[in-house]
Amino acid sequence: MKLLVCISKTPDTTAKIAFNGENTKLETAGITFIMNPYDEWYALVKAIEIQEKWGGSVSVLHVGPSENDAIIRKALAIGATDAHRIDTEAVSADQVAFQMASFIQQHAFDIIFTGKETIDYNGAEVGGRMAAQLNLPFISFASHLDIVTENEAIVKRDMEGGTETIQVNTPFVISAAKGMAEQRIPNMKGIMTAKSKPLNVVTPQEYSPKISIVSHELPPAKKAVQYIDPENMAELARLLREEAKVI
Amino acid sequence: MAAYFNMETLKFLMFNVHKLEELLLNERYNAFDKESILLFLQSVADFSDQDLYPIFKEMDEKPAKFSEGKIHVHPKIKDILIKQGELGVIGASFDESMGGLQLPATVMHAAYFIMEAANNHIPGYAGLTAGAAHLISSFADKKYHDQYVPNMLSGEWSGTMCLSEPQAGSGLSDIKCSAKPLDDGTFLIKGHKIFISGGDHEYAGNIIHLLLARIEGAPAGTKGISLFIVPKYKISPDQTLVNNDVITAGDFQKMGQRGYCTAHLVFGDNDQCTGYLVGEENKGLLYMFQMMNDARIAVGRGGAAIASAAYYASLQYAQERQQGRRLLSGGRKDEAAGPTLIINHPDVRRMLFLQKAIYEGSLSLILQSSIYHDREISEKENNNHWNLLLEFLTPITKTYPSEKGKLAVDNGLQILGGYGFCADFILQQYYRDIRIMSIYEGTTGIQSLDLLGRKVLMENGLVLKTMLAEIQHTISEGKMDERLRATAKELEDQLPLVEATLAHLIPIAMKGETEKFVSDATLFMEAVGTIVVAWQWLKIGITASNVLKSSDAAFSASMLKNKLHTMRFFYKYELARNKSIFKIIQSDEVLTLAEDDAFPD
Repeated sequence: MKLLVCISKTPDTTAKIAFNGENTKLETAGITFIMNPYDEWYALVKAIEIQEKWGGSVSVLHVGPSENDAIIRKALAIGATDAHRIDTEAVSADQVAFQMASFIQQHAFDIIFTGKETIDYNGAEVGGRMAAQLNLPFISFASHLDIVTENEAIVKRDMEGGTETIQVNTPFVISAAKGMAEQRIPNMKGIMTAKSKPLNVVTPQEYSPKISIVSHELPPAKKAVQYIDPENMAELARLLREEAKVI
Repeated sequence: MAAYFNMETLKFLMFNVHKLEELLLNERYNAFDKESILLFLQSVADFSDQDLYPIFKEMDEKPAKFSEGKIHVHPKIKDILIKQGELGVIGASFDESMGGLQLPATVMHAAYFIMEAANNHIPGYAGLTAGAAHLISSFADKKYHDQYVPNMLSGEWSGTMCLSEPQAGSGLSDIKCSAKPLDDGTFLIKGHKIFISGGDHEYAGNIIHLLLARIEGAPAGTKGISLFIVPKYKISPDQTLVNNDVITAGDFQKMGQRGYCTAHLVFGDNDQCTGYLVGEENKGLLYMFQMMNDARIAVGRGGAAIASAAYYASLQYAQERQQGRRLLSGGRKDEAAGPTLIINHPDVRRMLFLQKAIYEGSLSLILQSSIYHDREISEKENNNHWNLLLEFLTPITKTYPSEKGKLAVDNGLQILGGYGFCADFILQQYYRDIRIMSIYEGTTGIQSLDLLGRKVLMENGLVLKTMLAEIQHTISEGKMDERLRATAKELEDQLPLVEATLAHLIPIAMKGETEKFVSDATLFMEAVGTIVVAWQWLKIGITASNVLKSSDAAFSASMLKNKLHTMRFFYKYELARNKSIFKIIQSDEVLTLAEDDAFPD
């Protein structure tokens, strides 16, 4: 089967987030970027599992400049066959989806994977927008994927209080959530092998932005630990209900 | 996931301070680049987060236990050993001809630093396996390499080093374990070995012991010691594994590293234990020193790793715990502002900076030593130069992080106050775990004898001279930076103290008063170790200053300024103490020689 995994970069989860003076752009000095975990742990690993069972290839696709090649190399080290990088800065979900869909239109893939969302802006938009442009079925937040034949798959997605099971024919776009696969950590041999796998640089298509970022606002700073008098359980209950909102 | 190390600091030390990319230009290592090494270290960090850290506390609470002839360790050890083999942390630094990838040892030390910071009870299994496999590959007949090493590098079989015996710990010349030659070229091994780290557990398919023993008729002392491969299970001609008469007599119950088994092994109690000679007869200790020198740097690394983990644990506590009030300018407490986080109290900050200065300085020293090691084995035309530097630094790299790491963890525990003493908080475990580091692989006393009694005098002082020239080179570089000039001068002022101390001591050695000469070797180690780490901090300072001046945005300005601040802390609070230590060593009053009869009561 011919599988494609769309990957994006996000700041490391331990990074201290700050924006520029106008609050329109992330301050990147000193920030380590990683492959979006939903793309890596679930989408990519599931695609590799399918390839191991059914044969074929797993390509990865990324929109970004050459500084992001380390993230692509990681995908290759985990087990992807080859990679394509559309050589332009990723600025919005719409632009990324447009560039990716434009690339996919020129290549035939059986299944196109994304993570269910990126962990920075949490838009969960790229998969749906791509599917719309490609006129393909889109299944979001999928937690299980079983290939029945090379042309047919059964997908499960977790819902509030239950599970939905869906039959779909290839080609389709799927966004992968927790449960789809288990993280694979690349080993030293895989990392060295990845150096010789193809990484193709693709010229981006012309794109006219439809939106612009006005500003970002950071959440309020975490409060210090509060000590509650053991005799005052009513106050504890109030705080848990009204501030922590856990009861 | 709790923080136990800082990847940005590790990257800064490896690639900026120690310029790892220059090493990678070397033919032996040029398959690697910065990107592949960072990917590998991130893999090690992910593995540590997922598999090592989560069971760290549990391994202390449910320690290794001996029962019914077996040592039972944490059930996840089996899976972890295989994963370590797959990841490459056992075999990646081996030569390509031995099944490795020729990964620089510097990178491997960084990888183990991460794993040990996550859970110091586990990496020893893989580390000793790699060390034992390396001994076989380096010195034994190739057939033994083929029989044992592949399964060791994959993590299916483990390896150990068997040196100590009940009557011979630090004094290896007294070992009694015997080897009787047999007609087929193998040897019958008989004797006890104690304190064998990773010596036996239920999850290794086989355990390959690298054992020191005395062949019948061999010369007395260390010149009569040979090295043997003694597997727990022999490989029979049909490739099945059969018992080799290696009996586990017990597991030492320790105050720390309780999840890491430490066996008492009995070899040949039924006269059925076969050993295979490594290399030539009576050269065992020479061969074993390869493994021991690597192990010494590894022990220092363990000390730095535990100090790192303790620092981040106490830092987190200090950033969350409110206690007391800040003091206003008149000395009154700021009652209006309410309780303050304890990180705002100067004394707590002093303890945090001390921890940070020790752990980061120690980590830099470990990377420095391993860079010298990598250069020694890869630059044949200049390897003696790198060897001299490594020879000098090895006992210091083992000792400084072990000894000062204890001090760092002690200060970390103090930050938690009463909670630091309680089992609910992790500091007490780090406090117990780090204690072994100044004992493992030659105690601090033994390392200090090696430094003063051997390394300082080695090659008529050439080793010391080469080391001081390296330090002087950094001082000269530091003096060119206005921001660092005073710091560089403070380090320069230490060098005459070393020379004056040796001018006092060497005539004592020349007179043959050797015990008197080395009587304060441990103090000499403390002072010289502090100078060496001050040198590392000056290197860190020079690099931080240069990156701040450049447009390199790889590191935040706050991190770089913090490095400069910590450097100054080290010089003010640690290096400044050295004068009094040198004064003690130079004193004519000697109070510790055995003839003073000071201990009759």
